[in-house]
Amino acid sequence: MLAPSFATGLWEALSHDLQYIWPQMLLMVSGLLMLWPLDSWLLPWTKAEKHKWAIPTMAILLVSLLISLYTPNGLGFSAMYKVDGLTKGFQALCILASIFAVMLSQKVLGALFEHTAEYYALILFATSGMLFMCGAVDLVTIYFSIELMALCIYILVAYLRNQERGIEAGMKYFLLGAFSSGILLYGISLLFAATGGITTNLTELNQKLAVVSQDKNLLVYSGALMVLVGLCFKVAAVPFHMWSPDVYDGAPTPITAWLATAPKAASLAVFLRIFGTGFHGIFNEWEAPLMVIAGATMILGNVAAIKQQSMKRLLAYSSIAHVGYMLLGVLSRDAQSGAQAIWLYMLLYLFMNTGAFAVVIYLQGKNEGERIEDFSGMGKRHPVLAFSMLVFLLSLAGIPPFIGFFGKFYLFLLAVEQGYTTLVVIALLTSAVSAFYYLEVVKQMYFKEPAEGEVEPMDSYSKFLISATCAVVLIGTAFGPQLLKWTDDIRWFEKETPAVILEFSNN
Amino acid sequence: MSGSAQLMLLATFLPLLGGLGLLFVPNEKREVFQKASVAILAASFLLSVPLWFLYDRGSAAVQFSYSVSWMPSLGVKFSVGMDGISLLLWLLTTFTGPIAALCSWGNITERWKEYYIWLLVLQTSLLGVFIAQDMLLFYIFWEVMLVPMYFLIGIWGGPQKLYAAIKLFLYTLSGSVLMMVAIFAIYYLQHKTNNAYDFSIESFQAMAPVIAQQTKAFQVLLALAFFLAFAIKVPMFPFHTWLPDAHVQAPTAGSVILAGIMLKMGTYGFVRFLLPIVPDGTKLLMPYFLALALIGVIYGALVAMIQKDMKKLVAYSSVSHLGLCMLGIFALNPWGLKGAMFQMLNHGISTPGLFLAVGIVYERRHTRQIADYGGLSKTMPIYATIFMLMTMSSIGLPLLNGFIGEATILMGTFQTWPWVAVLATSGIILGAAYMLWMFQRVMFGPISDVNAKMEDLNFREIAYFSPLIIMAVWIGLYPKPFMDIMDKPVRKLVLQVQPDFYKAEALAARQAEAAKVGMRGMEAPAAHEPEAAPVEHAPETLAAPGGGQ
Repeated sequence: MLAPSFATGLWEALSHDLQYIWPQMLLMVSGLLMLWPLDSWLLPWTKAEKHKWAIPTMAILLVSLLISLYTPNGLGFSAMYKVDGLTKGFQALCILASIFAVMLSQKVLGALFEHTAEYYALILFATSGMLFMCGAVDLVTIYFSIELMALCIYILVAYLRNQERGIEAGMKYFLLGAFSSGILLYGISLLFAATGGITTNLTELNQKLAVVSQDKNLLVYSGALMVLVGLCFKVAAVPFHMWSPDVYDGAPTPITAWLATAPKAASLAVFLRIFGTGFHGIFNEWEAPLMVIAGATMILGNVAAIKQQSMKRLLAYSSIAHVGYMLLGVLSRDAQSGAQAIWLYMLLYLFMNTGAFAVVIYLQGKNEGERIEDFSGMGKRHPVLAFSMLVFLLSLAGIPPFIGFFGKFYLFLLAVEQGYTTLVVIALLTSAVSAFYYLEVVKQMYFKEPAEGEVEPMDSYSKFLISATCAVVLIGTAFGPQLLKWTDDIRWFEKETPAVILEFSNN
Repeated sequence: MSGSAQLMLLATFLPLLGGLGLLFVPNEKREVFQKASVAILAASFLLSVPLWFLYDRGSAAVQFSYSVSWMPSLGVKFSVGMDGISLLLWLLTTFTGPIAALCSWGNITERWKEYYIWLLVLQTSLLGVFIAQDMLLFYIFWEVMLVPMYFLIGIWGGPQKLYAAIKLFLYTLSGSVLMMVAIFAIYYLQHKTNNAYDFSIESFQAMAPVIAQQTKAFQVLLALAFFLAFAIKVPMFPFHTWLPDAHVQAPTAGSVILAGIMLKMGTYGFVRFLLPIVPDGTKLLMPYFLALALIGVIYGALVAMIQKDMKKLVAYSSVSHLGLCMLGIFALNPWGLKGAMFQMLNHGISTPGLFLAVGIVYERRHTRQIADYGGLSKTMPIYATIFMLMTMSSIGLPLLNGFIGEATILMGTFQTWPWVAVLATSGIILGAAYMLWMFQRVMFGPISDVNAKMEDLNFREIAYFSPLIIMAVWIGLYPKPFMDIMDKPVRKLVLQVQPDFYKAEALAARQAEAAKVGMRGMEAPAAHEPEAAPVEHAPETLAAPGGGQ
């Protein structure tokens, strides 16, 4: 009699918990179907071209976005996975970023000459990993979902397998990524040991950490520090950023645009879960190291970008710098408002970053856009393109009234409230530095004479993609109230507000 | 929204709308761009004139105000309005606009479409700074302005334009980001004290008593953050180095707007934000501020004296003149403040005039070196006359506008800081020296063959000079309306900075009255004080460190 009741129990549990992960299920199943039966049977039969997978992929991503928005809040899978405002908000970011990546991968842009089903399938798998990361509330699920995402990205980064740069990028990312995962895992195991080998659940971990005995302090600190280091690798925070410019440079450009946003959004969600919930009680222990990391990330990211010659590397360093700003949100003692500020910043960053990369990708398709000099005279050759790029760059620099300013404004406002005035001063001064290198590109576009040669008119797809993104960046600030209303929904559900936990923070 | 507020918003945003409209005009039609931009800016000026008459001079309150909620959860409003001080500068801006567009007809020979559009966008952002009544809105306009200016200098500027453009951008940007931190700090202080999130300038000014109770270090940091943002814009010594570069490289219209309007934003920032919001912090730092302003006056004049380039000379003369304005502001009494505001207006008339004059000979000969000219008065009599008038206005000849402003500033400064005023006078003497010397070298003496072929002003050029001349003479002869409009706002400002100022004045008046009638016994404790009580009283209040604590 045991077996049937076990089966029914399992079924009941599954049928209850599955409702939380429908978006991931959809992505994974459709990815699998794309890989095997559809691609090898159906497509040859219908004689469709392989890159036609882009539109189904976008549709699948859109559906999963809708499903994820309507997923009920709740805790499932033995309290290892949670759906709440934070989960949904960051999942939306990841899916949006993936949609943009697929849009950027279009053949008309000339970014990739080889489109196959696995390219899109890998994006779907990686996205499902990110979605799991956003909702994981247990160190084990966090680790697994990070790996699910990272393995797919390793392959995508090395997708240009006939180019040396691509192979180098993939190899570098794989080695360092594996290494950082090891550190993360080691940190997790130390924490597991320190709390008595009972739990990996973040909420329980937080309570256990607060009452851990004095002699275990070393374990706790080194564990927390290792987790911090592992995650900093994932978001490319200084001094664990070395891989990022090379990887960004070598990866196919749509993937670079995606790398700068989607994995970072997911990793920041994990950051917020671990540090906002799990380590909230030992805030004072990780505050100082994270402050140093955030400050260093802003400074180095912006300063190193100044002398870049390659546009992709410039954007890579600028994305390092933007992560530095966003780490200010992780530092917030009030983790919820920190999460809200990061979410808003990431959403706005997603648009300006995608826009800037769209311009680079379009030019690459014309065999230019790789170096900053390629932009010379763009204002005359492609007025619309140049103006859009101007808007994206000024927005990245945080010049009002573009949306980038609004994101910075909201984030730094919070950081000043939390008492990080010095870091905000650094952030603002380095953003003034960033204006320098962004304007370097503007200078090329508007102040330099164009190179010789015919000017091809832009195709309607690129024109639409770029000018639509430009419009969003240009007038986005006007929708501030609406954005703030969405931002307000990024909260974890009531019974788990870290307020209770704050009491332990004095220990 | 009241009719006058509509008028104000229309005049402010008309240039931007016009610029957007010009986007659809084909690139080749140069004349359309020239005429349309002048027409749009002139229309904006005409729309702005009625406000001068509609303004109620009997009130210190912000008028023509209009406010609509923008981001309620943060307390950000789209809130606009003007008081006398902003109105004066706002009108100066609408007044300068058409002149700047008209003077570009000759020297903008390429990419005119972009040029006129950027010029129009710039005009809206300049006007927006003066009407913003919300900190965030103000900050947005303040920053936006940099982008069109960057392009105006970077595309249509001189040989070193790229360097000058990025320098202007980065200098101003780094100053203003620090101001942002100060704004955040006050915002949260406000939330802590009265649990409200509000970005309105009014509520920020209302925070002054609370800020006065904070630690000295906090106040000094706040004052420094605001000071840096505005001192770079003014520019005060030693933050002035971007100015000569920007002026020399900018096209004439760029220089006109830089000198005429943008520099005034720095001084406007001082009277609108630094003084009313952090009065005690300012008083703590006063000796340093005064020293920098004074160095600016004398150093600017001395450096101007040795310049070989006419535009650079005028640029350094701006450093000197603006230093004098700063002294007037730091006098913290009605005469100094009024004089400073008034001098800003005058500087906004005479210096653009000088830049236009330099632009005219540059257009004809493509050199700005003083040594290349000489004897121009023989071939260009009208030009020489106008140049003379502008020079005289700049050095403060009585009956022209400059005199009134300088006299009032020195009067105010003398009452608070006598020795500083004495030293500052030397700047004025030097000013007369370098301006007249330049005039002499350019206009008189033997004339070379090249210069002899130069044509005198044409109709268009006379057209853009004439409003400046009319204003210079009008203000010089009858400055009262311009002074009156600032009366109440300046009184309010003085009360914000020195709450006891008018009490002391009233007391002194009463004592004087009592002394005359010979009833010395009535006010025994204070009776021995001489008539000049307010004058002596002012430095006492200032000298007390952190008076409000």
